[in-house]
Amino acid sequence: MRLSIGARLSALTLACVTLILAMVVGYAYVVSRDTIVELARKNGTAVAQGTASRINAQFQATAKVTETVAATLEDADLSKRFLSDLGRRVLFSNPGIFGTAVAFEPQAFERGTKYFAPYSYRRNYAITSVNLGGDDYNYFTKDWYQLARELNRPVWTEPYYDDGGGDTLMITYSAPFSRRTPRGLQPAGVVTADIDLAWLQRTISSVSVSASGYVFLLSRYGAYIAHPDPALIMNETIFTHAEDLNLPSLRDLGKEMVAGRAGFVEFSDLPGVGAAYVAYQPLPDERWSLAVVLPKDELLAGANRVTRIMTGIGLAGFVLLAGVILAVSGTITRPLRILTRAAGGIAAGNLDQPMPAIAPGDEVGDLAASFTSMKEALRRHIADLTTATAARERIESELRIARDIQMSILPKIFPPFPDRAELDVYASIVPAREVGGDLYDFFFADEHRFCFLIGDVSGKGVPAAFFMAVTKTLIKAVAEREKAPGRILSKVNDELAADNDSCMFVTLFLAILDTRTGRLEFGNAGHNAPLLLRRGRPPEWIGSLEEPMAGAMPDIDYTTGALDLAPGDTLFLTTDGVGEAMNPTLELYTDDRLLETVSAHANAGAQDMLRAVSASVTDWAGGAEQSDDITMLAVRYLGPAPQ
Amino acid sequence: MRVILLTMLMLLATTARASDQPLRLVLHWLPQAQFAGYLMAEEKGFYAARGLDLKIIPGGPDVNVSQHLADGRAEFATMFLSTAIERSAAMDLVHIGQIVHQSALMLVASRDSDIRSLKDLGGRRVGMWGADFQIQPRALFKRLGIEVTVVEQAPSMDLFMRGGLDAVSAMWYNEYHTLMSYGLEEKDMVAFFFRDLDLNFPEDGLYCLRSTFERDPAAARAVAQASLDGWAYAFAHPEETLDVVLRRMKEHRVKANRAHQRWMLARMQDIVLAGGAPRLTLSRTDFERTTHILMEQGFASEPPRYEEFVMEPTP
Amino acid sequence: MDIQTRIVDTKALLTCSGRMDAVTAPRFEAASTELLGQGHTAQIADLSGLEYISSAGLRSILAAGKKLKAAGGSLAFCGLSGMVDEVFRVSGFLKLFKVHASEAEALEG
Repeated sequence: MRLSIGARLSALTLACVTLILAMVVGYAYVVSRDTIVELARKNGTAVAQGTASRINAQFQATAKVTETVAATLEDADLSKRFLSDLGRRVLFSNPGIFGTAVAFEPQAFERGTKYFAPYSYRRNYAITSVNLGGDDYNYFTKDWYQLARELNRPVWTEPYYDDGGGDTLMITYSAPFSRRTPRGLQPAGVVTADIDLAWLQRTISSVSVSASGYVFLLSRYGAYIAHPDPALIMNETIFTHAEDLNLPSLRDLGKEMVAGRAGFVEFSDLPGVGAAYVAYQPLPDERWSLAVVLPKDELLAGANRVTRIMTGIGLAGFVLLAGVILAVSGTITRPLRILTRAAGGIAAGNLDQPMPAIAPGDEVGDLAASFTSMKEALRRHIADLTTATAARERIESELRIARDIQMSILPKIFPPFPDRAELDVYASIVPAREVGGDLYDFFFADEHRFCFLIGDVSGKGVPAAFFMAVTKTLIKAVAEREKAPGRILSKVNDELAADNDSCMFVTLFLAILDTRTGRLEFGNAGHNAPLLLRRGRPPEWIGSLEEPMAGAMPDIDYTTGALDLAPGDTLFLTTDGVGEAMNPTLELYTDDRLLETVSAHANAGAQDMLRAVSASVTDWAGGAEQSDDITMLAVRYLGPAPQ
Repeated sequence: MRVILLTMLMLLATTARASDQPLRLVLHWLPQAQFAGYLMAEEKGFYAARGLDLKIIPGGPDVNVSQHLADGRAEFATMFLSTAIERSAAMDLVHIGQIVHQSALMLVASRDSDIRSLKDLGGRRVGMWGADFQIQPRALFKRLGIEVTVVEQAPSMDLFMRGGLDAVSAMWYNEYHTLMSYGLEEKDMVAFFFRDLDLNFPEDGLYCLRSTFERDPAAARAVAQASLDGWAYAFAHPEETLDVVLRRMKEHRVKANRAHQRWMLARMQDIVLAGGAPRLTLSRTDFERTTHILMEQGFASEPPRYEEFVMEPTP
Repeated sequence: MDIQTRIVDTKALLTCSGRMDAVTAPRFEAASTELLGQGHTAQIADLSGLEYISSAGLRSILAAGKKLKAAGGSLAFCGLSGMVDEVFRVSGFLKLFKVHASEAEALEG
């Protein structure tokens, strides 16, 4: 997917901001939650401990009174009156005690009395006394009696509904007592003190935890003694409750509490309150246990509210930031978009596309300036290129003209004189790309005098071509009037040197062969020496007279050399383009190699010899660019024409 | 003649008055799921459907049901078979229907103690309820040849929980679960079932005085049949039954919790059905075994004969 | 081609090395013309370091020589050897210009 810079910038920045925001909010939530939970743990534990110790104080007072009474009974002179008064006194001075009894073993109070248990208890703000026991109320198997009696130590009973007397939910502290008899101390019964559970429940319900938090109290076997749900009290233990709710964690809590341990646990779902923390604390003496339930929602309401507010602020900030970023990225990228459109115009070839005026000073302004100068450079470059192309084309056409001149004036029809049997003549020229200005020519000056020449004009191009053409024309004109090649060269030199400001010159080798005698006269104006091939003799360079090229200076007297050709002798003339032909590693072909090649074809005809040399040179060059014209002329004397 | 007529009229009037008075069924313990069938029969009108106007009197630790029959405070009663056989020595009782076919009585020791087999109980303090619940244990101890210290056991299991007893009597459907409700796991307890020790005493059954039965056998049979209908209904509708049972318990200010009563109802289903269909028939073998042990234990000297004692409706 | 110029007494010395061909030859003429512009009409070209000379090189030398001659000066050579000596001989330059055997001789003459 292709996104604009603005969108990408916005997305990236906003993603970062969101991440940071989430981290901040998350961290704040976690920290405040942990603080609150820690606070709840301390608070809950404190509440549990406080309540436990309040209850315990009452329990201890009750236990103390009961044990004191039990101790008193050991030696007291017992009468019904005494026991009744004792009960009333105990209740009078201990408002926390609901009822108290002194229950005797069968026959222990007096012979013939199975049940004797005077019981005083509060009813309607007054103290009432009854005697417990009878066939309908066998107290010997009641926990309040039997436990202390059988265990022979004071105990707190589990909560129970007493229907013998009291008719209320209560717990009882029972202490066994003995009587001194002639047979020593004998177990005589049990002293009890009851605590009305309503008092306990009031104490516990008066403990204020949070709005929906509460405290509950478990007996030693996990029975609910106090709980905001009255249906649970006395009916359920925490274990049956857990079984009923199918809540194993509640059963685990019950086991912890019943085992007398203190702790703090988290519940994911407690009936009525949902997620909650529970701090629990055993009551010191009895193995009862008290728990404070703190609903999690309520505890964390503050943290949750702060988190919500922070999230709200964060979202508002997010929206604001998103707007700002979009606006800013818009202003940053607007010039870029304008520039992109303009550059698109340039790319399409419209160099006259005006570049938009973008405020300089920032990167985009610089970019726009660069575009402008690039456009200008491009325009200049294209103009230069156009000019250069025109120039090159002009040069090319000049070269073409030069070559056309060169080629058009050189004789190219072979054999040139088919009716002359005395001679075998062949010539070739391979012009370089930039025409070198080589020339050759041959003609009969008169009936028997065959004039031939080869030359090389200094310089290139059209001027060289013209110079060559002038030279050729001059030679031909002079050769008709003058006999000796030296003289011809002197005349031609004077003509060329006159008004030659450009200092052009031409090297020339010019010879005249008398076809009747084989007599060869020649002159050399600075040209490299030709090769003479005679039958049965090694080839030899001839005719280097060490005289200057023509056209450079006037008034030079050229000498004329002479030799006699036998039929079959060949004169092989070249320009320096042959010896100086280079291979790709810039090595010269050299005159020595030329000599070798020509020797190998000494007996061939003019054309074959020339082609052999040409092939050898081409082979040597091997594709390297030819830097100079390669011109060759072979003249073979075949003997005088038959009469 | 006028006198005879008058007497006849008075007799008719008496009979009419007698049939106007509601019949009473006294239960041998506090209302709980152990009596779910009777309570549901009353609640769902199964007694009325059979033409009976019957009122249930709940029992309790201090209610002697045979005394209620003897005193005319109730016409019908539920009793253990053993109790009924014992009482029949003093009063002319007849059996009109067997409800519980398997004994739920058991002895429970703590896994923490060193008691692993019945023999380990020798010389230990064992909690037992009243005489009716002592027959099977005493027979067992005699058979094993061990002596135990019997401590009369309170309805609560507190003394056992506090280590005052090495083993306690328990009904499978009741006190066994009470111990569980105190946080003990089943694996924490060592249990001995009398039904598995060749001491299976059929328990809850329906009884009345022979005179009551003879005066109106149809009514007696209707009571038994309607009670059995109540049980079938209770097993088929456990939650509704639990609602009713718990309500009755609260009315009588008895500790009540649903989990406990659910357990009790399920166990009652086990021992009422005892692997068969609801039935009122008392197994002759069980009857013979019970009488034999009662005689052996000296609880009965001249037990009734099955044919004279068992008056249950022909199936 | 590399051209070093220096002035010794009244004479200007151009020391050429490398190849004097169609591409490089105009530089010789330019260097000579520049020295002429500075008034050095007597010039000596030391060609001892020159490996190769083409006809374009000869023409450049000829042009320089003609300019100096017109200005009443002279162009002389020294240090010819190998191919350069050969070319000078064949082309008749030995007849057109004064050629000395060594630089010292050229400076004296």
